[in-house]
Amino acid sequence: MESRFDVIIVGGGHAGAEAARVCARGGARVALVTMQAEAIGRMSCNPAIGGLAKGNLVKEIDALGGLMGEATDRAGIQFKILNRSRGPAVQGPRAQCDRDLYALAVQDILRLEPLIKVVEGVVAALLLRGPAVGGVILADGSHLTAAATIITTGTFLRALMHSGESKTAGGRFGEPSAATLSDSLRELGLRLGRLKTGTPPRIQKDSVDFSKMEEARGDQEPRPFSILTDRIELPQVLCHVTYTSPVAHDLIRANLHRAPMYSGQIEATGPRYCPSIEDKVVRFADKERHQIFVEPEGLEHPWLYLNGISTSLPADVQDAVVQSLPGFEQAVIARYGYAVEYDFVNPQQLEPTLRVKDVEGLYLAGQINGTSGYEEAAAQGLMAGINALQQIRGGAPVTIRRDQGYSGVMIDDLVTLGTEEPYRMFTSRAEHRLLLGCDSVYERLTQIGVSLGIVDEERRRRVEQRVDRMDRARSLAQTTTLTPDQRTLTALAPFGVSLHEKASVARLLQRHDLSVEVLMDALSNEHSGLTEAFRSLRSEELEGVVSQLRYAGYVDRQRREADRSAEDDLLSIPRAMGFALPGLSTEVVEKLCSIRPASLGQAARIPGVTPAAISILRMHLRRGPITLKAATA
Amino acid sequence: MSVAGRRPDDTIVAAATPLARSALAVIRIDGPDSARILQTLTRTTSFTPRLAVHVELWKEDGAMLDDVVVTPFFGPSSFTGNDLMELTLHGNPALVQRAIREIVSLGARHAEQGEFSERAVLNGKIDLVQAEAISELINSRTALQAQLLLGNLQGVLSRRAASVRRSMLDAIVRLEASLDFSEEGYDFIDRVELERVIGGAIAEVEAMSRTYQRGAATSSGLAAVILGRPNAGKSSLLNRLVGSDRAIVTSVAGTTRDIIRETLEIGGLPVTVADTAGLRESEDPVEGIGIERARAAARSADLVLYLVDAQIGLTEADRLELGRFTHAQVIFTKTDLAPAPAGEFGISVTEDKGVDELLRRLDEQVRDQFVAAPGSVINDRQHLAVEGCLEGLREATRSIAEGYEEQIVLVDLHRAARALGTLTGAILTDEILAEIFSKFCIGK
Repeated sequence: MESRFDVIIVGGGHAGAEAARVCARGGARVALVTMQAEAIGRMSCNPAIGGLAKGNLVKEIDALGGLMGEATDRAGIQFKILNRSRGPAVQGPRAQCDRDLYALAVQDILRLEPLIKVVEGVVAALLLRGPAVGGVILADGSHLTAAATIITTGTFLRALMHSGESKTAGGRFGEPSAATLSDSLRELGLRLGRLKTGTPPRIQKDSVDFSKMEEARGDQEPRPFSILTDRIELPQVLCHVTYTSPVAHDLIRANLHRAPMYSGQIEATGPRYCPSIEDKVVRFADKERHQIFVEPEGLEHPWLYLNGISTSLPADVQDAVVQSLPGFEQAVIARYGYAVEYDFVNPQQLEPTLRVKDVEGLYLAGQINGTSGYEEAAAQGLMAGINALQQIRGGAPVTIRRDQGYSGVMIDDLVTLGTEEPYRMFTSRAEHRLLLGCDSVYERLTQIGVSLGIVDEERRRRVEQRVDRMDRARSLAQTTTLTPDQRTLTALAPFGVSLHEKASVARLLQRHDLSVEVLMDALSNEHSGLTEAFRSLRSEELEGVVSQLRYAGYVDRQRREADRSAEDDLLSIPRAMGFALPGLSTEVVEKLCSIRPASLGQAARIPGVTPAAISILRMHLRRGPITLKAATA
Repeated sequence: MSVAGRRPDDTIVAAATPLARSALAVIRIDGPDSARILQTLTRTTSFTPRLAVHVELWKEDGAMLDDVVVTPFFGPSSFTGNDLMELTLHGNPALVQRAIREIVSLGARHAEQGEFSERAVLNGKIDLVQAEAISELINSRTALQAQLLLGNLQGVLSRRAASVRRSMLDAIVRLEASLDFSEEGYDFIDRVELERVIGGAIAEVEAMSRTYQRGAATSSGLAAVILGRPNAGKSSLLNRLVGSDRAIVTSVAGTTRDIIRETLEIGGLPVTVADTAGLRESEDPVEGIGIERARAAARSADLVLYLVDAQIGLTEADRLELGRFTHAQVIFTKTDLAPAPAGEFGISVTEDKGVDELLRRLDEQVRDQFVAAPGSVINDRQHLAVEGCLEGLREATRSIAEGYEEQIVLVDLHRAARALGTLTGAILTDEILAEIFSKFCIGK
């Protein structure tokens, strides 16, 4: 078997798939090592992609040439923009997906890349070459070599599944655990921790009564994630909502001692933001009900996914709890919920490129870095892939700034702050949220991908056209001025629009009582250039232009703030620099040495690094080494 | 930090007491080398933290400098948070200067303005409001001023700001949660609650802002100006108030050309009283300049006493001047020669009548109008922070009223919280630090 590659990717989940494709796109020969080729791209938990902030990550991946958006568009069966009424910066696109179609779409996309070779096997250890990793050793003893290795093993490192009192080794139902890779990581000096996550029970679809639940509809016009997708082809389906009741809560409370998280069987930290139903009942004791989204696992799939009730209670309790839900009186559980406990690597041990500090050629991405969620994993996979690619090509490291994308916020948070619980992306983690809306994602990121040669021609062309269309509409709206003369007033009157003074169309669009559609209808005779420019926009682009005009003042202000704070991020700290500077306390020096910030901005974000310490660092960086007159006391 | 030439990581030295003959004088050495320098100076190898010891101070060349009491503080348990050595010498300026020279030769540098307090802030030992209170406390001249500043030093204003900021941050967090967890079906904060929190914060921050005028007056003292036509008795009144012949008094109109200032305590505050050139049309350019200065002083003064000779009474020219200075109070003088008009207040300096009553009235006025409570905003920087917060809060209210979404309201609220954070230095920026610490005196 051919055993020499440029990049080896361990794991075929959402991080691994992105890493594999981007490396192949960039011309690297890729080995994608997975336990099971047919599990590539598998959605191990909920059958949905996107959501608040997570949807933005998917768009960023798409803008950089990644695959998650494309796969979602091919598998999506209910699309919805969340937070639609709450302003563009906090809206997040989400799609319910057909679980099987999603994995197939990912596999189809990867199959188009001739440079990717899928290798079925279990990685037993890393091939250590001094301070570098030169590849992997498979369980069958064979060696694969490459200059860069990306580990994206998700929840599989020393994974242990808990269902009630029973424990099974394995990272996902019916799949084995990667038992020994952790040892290799420890040998490299990495500190590993333990996290847990959980899944809810899956229900036989034909055993429930939907008439007793609320309906949850998607958007009328499903909006694709990827710029490459013209329209969503799959039929769109209904979801449902049901609620827990005090009966269910009593059942759970009565059986808490049998839940692994409460019996002490699991000591790892679970996701605070995606709590199990046990956690919810304990932590929100005064809530009379908790909401459960009843989601189909696919168009034809016989199961339902109960989003909001992840649990590792024993089977008999799960039966009773599920059957207490309206519509689920006769429900049959097809697969019981379970919790998975797994090793993760504290991400403070990584460079902002996701390369392991001091270890040449080793990158980590996805849940192994303590994150939760497909989207978080995929965005890391893409960035690790890009940097592995840059390494083998001899190019410069690539990072996304915090004001450029949620990917940048996430990775900076991970490597600077670390994490003690599964890290989930939120819009509130971004200090300049208004700059990170989906409407501007292609302007922010695609050029980076193009310059790296990882964005396909078709995507580049579509992005360019989209940006041109939006620019044109925006600038025409700014330059077209309406005067309250008779003609204009007559044109506006039938639409209930009045005008008292001269105003640009951009200014008028800031009025909340005036919709762009009404304004365009009113202006179609007088200003055909403008109305045509607006009508040439896709609905998503139109919303983008209107919100850009409407929030321009706020966005400009955040832009200026971001530019100001970017100054410290541009002051980079040389890798060779030591941190034992006079005047820095031992505690601060320890923190700086362990994180080894790449820039002054990053240093300032490390908790416990005082303003005084930052002043010393800044001075040191600007003026060179500090020399003292005499030795210390 | 952008304060020119300053670095927070080396060893600094300064006299903490004035360079004047006195019983004792204190020198402070702060920074990583301070302990070593003290060891060298005292030829003593070990010190117990915070234990004052009597030792001898030696120059490197073997000459003895002084015998002193030293109190070593080791970081973080010191005022600055660094290793800080306090030396109590005999209070001779030459001796102190020699000791400082010796300390500098051992590797310390002369401290700049406010550097000790700056280090305390940078190391999180005190916040900005407290640092400013220290600076003002040192300069305060009356017990009442000191009381206000001591309140701020003990954190009355800081706690007040922190409490409003906490309520704002709580609303921000809940509003953020309502965006980030909008799908989970929980109510984190509704509009009524949000408006209640913002309204409450506005009321509290407005109240803080309103303390500014009094706070500034109390911390920096008041300016009073005695104004009036020539020979109205302005200089006589000043001399009577300060109890000495400070200003030249003649019967020649226009004797006082430039402004003469004296400070006295009224209502617990230091009040600088200015005697000014009499107001009249004058051909003399020197007198003309004096008159203009008098008017300028009166425009910015907290108190204006407008004197009118009771023998002459209010003239058209007086009415014109009083129209310019609406906060002026009219006092009739020379009531020994002619009575004040009915219902008007009059004094006679010659017979010493009414002056004590005038002082009593001024005292009452100062206490009513100018004396601040502890927890007041005392300077421009603090006032700007409070006003910045108010602006953000009002903007948030407007955004809600105009139907802007949470994402925009949050921008406003974050701005408001940030502004308030700059008050205490919960948020520190280089500019703030540079601005504040340039106002400090050395060694504090």
